[in-house]
Amino acid sequence: MTQDDADGSVPALRTDRLGRRYGKMWGLRDCTLEVPAGAVAAVVGPNGAGKTTLLEMIIGLLEPTEGRVDVFGQTSRADTAGSLGRVGYVAQDHPLYRDFTVADMFHLGRAMNPSWDQNLADVRMDALSIPVNRKIRRLSGGQQAQVSLTMALAKRAPLLVLDEPVSSLDPVARLDFMRDVMAIAADQALTFLISSHVVAELERYCDWLIILSAGHVQLAGPADDLLAAHQLLTVPRATLDADLPGTAIQRTDSDRHSTVLVRAGADQFAGYGRPGWQADPVSFEQLIMAYLQRRPSPRSYDNPAPAAERPGTPAKEVTR
Amino acid sequence: MTWVTWRQHRSQAMACLALLAALAVYAIIEGTSMRTAFSNDNLAGCLARSQGTGCPAAVSDFTGAFGSAVNIAFWSVCLIIPGLIGVLVGGSLVARELEYGTWRLAWSQTVPRTRWLGVKLALVTGGLIAVGAAMTAVITWYRAPMDRVVGHLYQNVYDYEGLVLTAYILCAFGFAVLAGLLIRRSIPAMIAAFIPWLAIRLVIEFVFRDHFMAPLTATGTCVQNSPQPHCGMGIGFVPPDTGHIGDLVLSVNGNLVTYQPASRFWPFQFIEAGIFVALTAAALGATIWLLHRRAAWTA
Amino acid sequence: MFRFRLDGSSGVPPYLQLVHQVRQALLLGYLQEGDRLPTVKDVAADLVINPNTVVKAYRQLEHEGLTGGRPGQGTFITATSSPVPPAAHQDLRASLEAWLRAAGEAGLDDEAVTALIAVARQDLKQDLKKERV
Repeated sequence: MTQDDADGSVPALRTDRLGRRYGKMWGLRDCTLEVPAGAVAAVVGPNGAGKTTLLEMIIGLLEPTEGRVDVFGQTSRADTAGSLGRVGYVAQDHPLYRDFTVADMFHLGRAMNPSWDQNLADVRMDALSIPVNRKIRRLSGGQQAQVSLTMALAKRAPLLVLDEPVSSLDPVARLDFMRDVMAIAADQALTFLISSHVVAELERYCDWLIILSAGHVQLAGPADDLLAAHQLLTVPRATLDADLPGTAIQRTDSDRHSTVLVRAGADQFAGYGRPGWQADPVSFEQLIMAYLQRRPSPRSYDNPAPAAERPGTPAKEVTR
Repeated sequence: MTWVTWRQHRSQAMACLALLAALAVYAIIEGTSMRTAFSNDNLAGCLARSQGTGCPAAVSDFTGAFGSAVNIAFWSVCLIIPGLIGVLVGGSLVARELEYGTWRLAWSQTVPRTRWLGVKLALVTGGLIAVGAAMTAVITWYRAPMDRVVGHLYQNVYDYEGLVLTAYILCAFGFAVLAGLLIRRSIPAMIAAFIPWLAIRLVIEFVFRDHFMAPLTATGTCVQNSPQPHCGMGIGFVPPDTGHIGDLVLSVNGNLVTYQPASRFWPFQFIEAGIFVALTAAALGATIWLLHRRAAWTA
Repeated sequence: MFRFRLDGSSGVPPYLQLVHQVRQALLLGYLQEGDRLPTVKDVAADLVINPNTVVKAYRQLEHEGLTGGRPGQGTFITATSSPVPPAAHQDLRASLEAWLRAAGEAGLDDEAVTALIAVARQDLKQDLKKERV
């Protein structure tokens, strides 16, 4: 089901200054974001950025150290049936009991989830031609991923969290898996939260983007709006970041020109335009990579980032 | 959760059943031949009349034929079996989930993890109690004739009758479950639990057991080095120096015999079982508490 | 049933690609009035893209008057011919070919031609914006 049809009033997910400390280190800090119902949201970041920490707090596997997380308007309390029942989860590498048959796994789902929909599970296995009496270890990687997804779907939870669902799959299985997810997103009133460290194909899948780096949210919002708010400017080398509209996110200097990725409001883009300046739209991948490559901002992205990182740096060769 | 627990421990349950079946087969064979020998030699009457002094040859034949427990190798194996059962069942209970990452599956269903663990522990503990009780019953049945000849306070016998066998299994299980939670790997957890279990087991048996209650003393009724068949310590000597079958003689000093009377079998069983059950409860309680407290797992 | 394509490396946002493909198909006659476009779910599954993208494309097409939705039945093509009359089309095509020939003789290769067109289009856009303000 698309965002059109979903009830826009209650966001599927809202976090408020969510944070988690491991000993002395903060895995995630000051995380405030919102994902509307019906969205397919991508959580992007390098390993160790805090993706798994964030997801586990949303699912109810981990207790926050500070802040809180609300799923469909209700505050999550870790390790309680109420919170656990609201979120379906497929962990990285889709763990299953390898000695169980597919039917055994569904029996487990039935036994441990009051909201279990066995019919949905049966229909999916039928459609995917996966024999339910086969042991998990005898299934291919792609089939196992499908069984894991079915376990999460049959739980009938309104929010589905997939942690790197395709990173261990071959390209064909990968495509089949995401094809399924897209079809389900079109059909049902489900919200998806998908984490990935592979950026290349995200643009097709997600309509909401969350970028995490070093335990902080660097950027979050609707994918289209974020793309519209960024442009790639080609300007003369001497131009200072302060002269540019908005905030410079990433700058590459050549002998005579610089390429700067800037974030600005629509009004700021409309106003400027000088001879020798060129503005191009930014691709999804460029946008994400730029935010991941810059020094992570310790502040929540809502606060304006400090003025440009290195104004007037000595010239560097263009490496791209 | 009941089905889930059963399904996850199904092969262990089958293995225990197989073990029980093998034990039962052995017990029936040995027990039957023991009973045959017992009645053939008319030991019942002799023991009733004279505590065995009247038929020394028959007694000696009988104990010689069926006293296999004195064999050190056999005894060592029998010693560790309850420990092995306990750690094999307990070591993987939590550790396996952490090892293979299936905890992310198990604890994200609509069952809080302490409830998951609580139900599992309750059911598996119940199963182990049943296994221990069954093993004890089978062994007690097959050893009945021998027990009438030498009693059951003796080391090798005491360990398998009464309550302690089940308690040993439970304690090894408890240690292994806790070790599994802390170490997060099945095999290392089993080893890390087995070693302290064995140490405690041996220390209690060889250091403390003889003194659970203050030993009694009596004047020896038997005369050493006389032309008559004499009595003394050890399973081969019937009756012991106290003159009563089943007493456990600790030491003989000249004419003074220090011993534990046969009637103390059950009190001692309760004391020793109590120690091991308390250890089990502590280990399992600690496991539940730690699981509840620790909210981050990287396996 | 009309099948869409997706070019992941073109730099054009997916929803625009879908819109362009419908426009192009209309121009070339591969889509005609009354044809039914595939459902949002079918396109999302076929191309493995977010269904909201498809919704956006279909909404854009409806906004441009090219399609109309019948509730419960799907999205149908309502326009039949290109918005540009065939005569104008032919004229533009002819002058374009002449210009391309001239550019080729001036020594511009394909890439240079494309770059020149992009720059000219950009400058024209900015001029138009300034004119509007």
